[in-house]
Amino acid sequence: MDQKSSSLGRFGGKTILYAILMVFVFIFGFPFYYMFVLSTVPGTEVYRNPPHIFFKSSFFTNISALFDDIPFAINFFNSFGIATLATVTVIFFCTMGGFALAKYDFKWKKPIFVLMLSTMAIPPFLNIIPFFKMMIFFQWYGTWLPLIVPGMANAFGIILMTQFMQSSIPDALMDAARIDGLTEFGILTRIAFPLSRSGIAVLGIMTFINSWNNFLGALVMLPNINSTTLPVALSKLFMQMDGDRGGLMAGTVLAVVPLIFVFIAFNKQIISGLAAGSVKG
Amino acid sequence: MVETGKRIAPYVFISPFLILFAIFGIFPILYSITISFFKWTLAGPQDFRGIQNYISLLTTDPFFIGSLKTTFILLVFGSLLQHVFAIPLAIVLNDQKVKGRGFFKVMYFLPYITSTVVIALVFNQLYEQNYGWFNFIIENWLGLEGVKWVQNPGAIKASIAIMVNWRFIGWNTIIYLAGLQSIDKVLYEAAEIDGATGFRKHWHVTVPLLLPIIFFAVSMSIIGGMQLFEEPFVLMKGYETMGGPSNAGLTSAYYLLGTGFNFNRFGKASAIAWILFAIIMAMTWMNKVVTDRLQR
Amino acid sequence: MKKLVFLLTVAVAAGLLFVGCSGKKEQTSAADMPVFDPEKEYVVSIGAYGDLEKAYKAVMDTEDFKSTFPNVTVEFQTADFGGHHSRLTTVLAAGEATNDIEALEVGYIAKFVEGGGLTNLAAAPFNGVEVGKDIVGFAMSNATTSDGSLVAMPVDIAPAVLFYRQSLVDEAGVSLENLESWDEFIEVGKELVADRDGDGEIDQFAIPNANEVAMTPLNGGKGGWFKDGKPLEPKEKFIEALTVVKEIREAGIDGDLGAWTGPWTQSFADGTVAATINGAWFGGALKTWIATDLSGDWRATRLPGNTLAALGGTYLSIPAEVPDEQKAVAWEVIKYLTTSSNAQLTTFETIDAFPALTTVFDDPIMNEPVEYFGGQKVRQLYADIAQEIPNAAVSEYDAAILSVFGNAITDVLVNDASVEESYQTALNSVLAIAD
Repeated sequence: MDQKSSSLGRFGGKTILYAILMVFVFIFGFPFYYMFVLSTVPGTEVYRNPPHIFFKSSFFTNISALFDDIPFAINFFNSFGIATLATVTVIFFCTMGGFALAKYDFKWKKPIFVLMLSTMAIPPFLNIIPFFKMMIFFQWYGTWLPLIVPGMANAFGIILMTQFMQSSIPDALMDAARIDGLTEFGILTRIAFPLSRSGIAVLGIMTFINSWNNFLGALVMLPNINSTTLPVALSKLFMQMDGDRGGLMAGTVLAVVPLIFVFIAFNKQIISGLAAGSVKG
Repeated sequence: MVETGKRIAPYVFISPFLILFAIFGIFPILYSITISFFKWTLAGPQDFRGIQNYISLLTTDPFFIGSLKTTFILLVFGSLLQHVFAIPLAIVLNDQKVKGRGFFKVMYFLPYITSTVVIALVFNQLYEQNYGWFNFIIENWLGLEGVKWVQNPGAIKASIAIMVNWRFIGWNTIIYLAGLQSIDKVLYEAAEIDGATGFRKHWHVTVPLLLPIIFFAVSMSIIGGMQLFEEPFVLMKGYETMGGPSNAGLTSAYYLLGTGFNFNRFGKASAIAWILFAIIMAMTWMNKVVTDRLQR
Repeated sequence: MKKLVFLLTVAVAAGLLFVGCSGKKEQTSAADMPVFDPEKEYVVSIGAYGDLEKAYKAVMDTEDFKSTFPNVTVEFQTADFGGHHSRLTTVLAAGEATNDIEALEVGYIAKFVEGGGLTNLAAAPFNGVEVGKDIVGFAMSNATTSDGSLVAMPVDIAPAVLFYRQSLVDEAGVSLENLESWDEFIEVGKELVADRDGDGEIDQFAIPNANEVAMTPLNGGKGGWFKDGKPLEPKEKFIEALTVVKEIREAGIDGDLGAWTGPWTQSFADGTVAATINGAWFGGALKTWIATDLSGDWRATRLPGNTLAALGGTYLSIPAEVPDEQKAVAWEVIKYLTTSSNAQLTTFETIDAFPALTTVFDDPIMNEPVEYFGGQKVRQLYADIAQEIPNAAVSEYDAAILSVFGNAITDVLVNDASVEESYQTALNSVLAIAD
């Protein structure tokens, strides 16, 4: 802890810095806060103008209306299950792929990298049509598989892990491990995975959130209210004439809470510094 | 023995990607290339067009070139501008002296997870020209005339850019923060021993080490920015408006989806996708060249 | 480079092979079509949006339905409006079908009418035209292609009316009844503009937005965009629409509120607007959540000049790829929902979706005074208007033209473009898109 001249000192004082940080907190956090407020407002008042900015008391009424409208627990379970499986598989396969690109040199490395980059450059919007056709052909329609399997080793994840691993795993460490008799796979699991915690955390968070929020995919692949995910189930309530706007807002809030928990959980993994036992001389 | 392992390992590690791509990736690509050579509607292929779709998009189509311009403008002011904010924010947050870092991280991440329904509500409220909060501040505190945020073509672009910045600055900050925290502390100490402090330290040590992450984050922004759809679509309320007055909010991806899902011309929409693809590849390649040069 | 060209050629060749092989299913002939079997257990799935699930579940709970179809269970796949139609387009574009029945809103039907992917219900054994003989003519024609295929059955409609608040109209000493032209409407509208709280700013308007008016002279934008194969003809009709919109804005009688925003929704409840133009279903929305406190104050009347239009409406279709057996039972269910008074009235009572079946118009319920509308017999009004709406041919270009024309309207309203200029720009764009 002997950081003498803090870089903060240069910028004229901590107070200003904290002030700036807090301004951003307000900007970024306000719509979120507003969402919570709306979930406590009775359904008929959601579209009022001027809008409510303080909490009201209808949260539990809204929640019970919501639970009458949709099988919330089931939808939640589906969303959570799909997102978790997607995240776990993606972390495993993409870290593996990223490790190959970051730490090895091999003949097809460059073409494969270019191939990956190009798969990301294709605007994905229309792909849903042939993709859907394939899923019917494989008879995966109505299952969780379309939402998990095709994306397991996706280009984005691999390239992200590659970038993170390049700066965080010393070659010397790998060589030392080989001398100690570790197989390449062993290096992957015992050294690469632990040292890439930051990248894994980022990838994990993103994958979980993207999977959770994937609306069109779930809508097209899952046939009915008991099999579908939470965002799709909630969309039922959206803009209905007689619809339960209060319930929709309450549902939206509940739908976002797990994301926050996941974020906080992964956040702890983004630690600074190298693992203990780095190479000394 | 070790040598063989070392040689085949990368292939084994990368094989899941290749296998999954072969199964799930190739067919959609073939499908989409093929239909781009046809007039293709819900009733299937109607007419073989060869490269006619591509040519007419680039020459006579009244919307495509404009949509490219709109996309570029939003790319710069929406997607790339974020990094100007995100990198310094990440560096500040990374400093040991900042307390409550976890709190800030969570708060900055919120825009990314706020649902589209809420974003639509809130921003429509902010931008409403007679009763919205932005104009309220502009008219009552600044004494200026309110802006027609969703009706004036210039303002529309600003409105979208604001939304995109809002949504992703925090996201990029977190990525940079993670990147910063995986930089070996030893390297910082070495630099400090050599006499570098504060801003110079960051410029000479932090930023260069961060370059792979910067390349990655900027590439993602380019790719994402060129495919920008969600924010303009939500603000301009659907396919029918075609981006609003003077098609101000019509990005190329918005036009792509409109052409397919609204106008029922899937072949043309595919052609748009492939033209965009070529542009994105070119830009990403340029990004790599620039970053590689900087890395030297 | 050579490698790339080679790969591309292989890709295209493979693709063409695939195209050659992918054929759409031929519609099975009447003789081979399985018949609905009352002894057999069926499960029918319906893809729907908004309130439809609620309405149809209510229908299925009635004794009449249960005794007619004791062997049929119905499942729903409901999403929001946009999501549902995106899903449907995706599924049909892929040449597949995942639900036996798919609901469609009138704005989307044009695309599917010419676009294919739906079973022709006019053909045997469905004989939809005969089955639907008591359904309002314009709704049936909206679902009919140029070569006579009927791709969906109308289940509810939304005749366009002018809603207004009696108290505000009385205060101004005017009337919105029996207006003979849009010019008269503008004159009356001027009287409805006021500064209620005396702060120097106008806070009461005639209608929320001038663009509400735009589509009504054009039959609500459903069909009628072409004449003799030429788009946006006859020109006078379109010029008139743009001119009326411009005049309304210039007269200062609209509040320039964006549809479905907070202020817009609020305006009906707090006196910011005195009137609005919308489909019959909007009356239901006012009653249930938008202006619940104003019961007794709202009225409905014909549009100025007795302009006739439809601003909404639902259709039920059977995707072409549904297995024949399911088609048989799906058709029975559709027939029931569209032509039985029980279904039409139950739907009407549950979600305020106005029936498309004319025989229901004689039902006593149509003659009842409606409390929310101060005892006015609004349902009779809707029924009368519905039967006068003219038939209009729809084409698959409707979506494209609607988008482009929508921008012409905004140009005229916001960017001060001249009516003639906007028309020309729109025409050029349409000619480019409609290839």
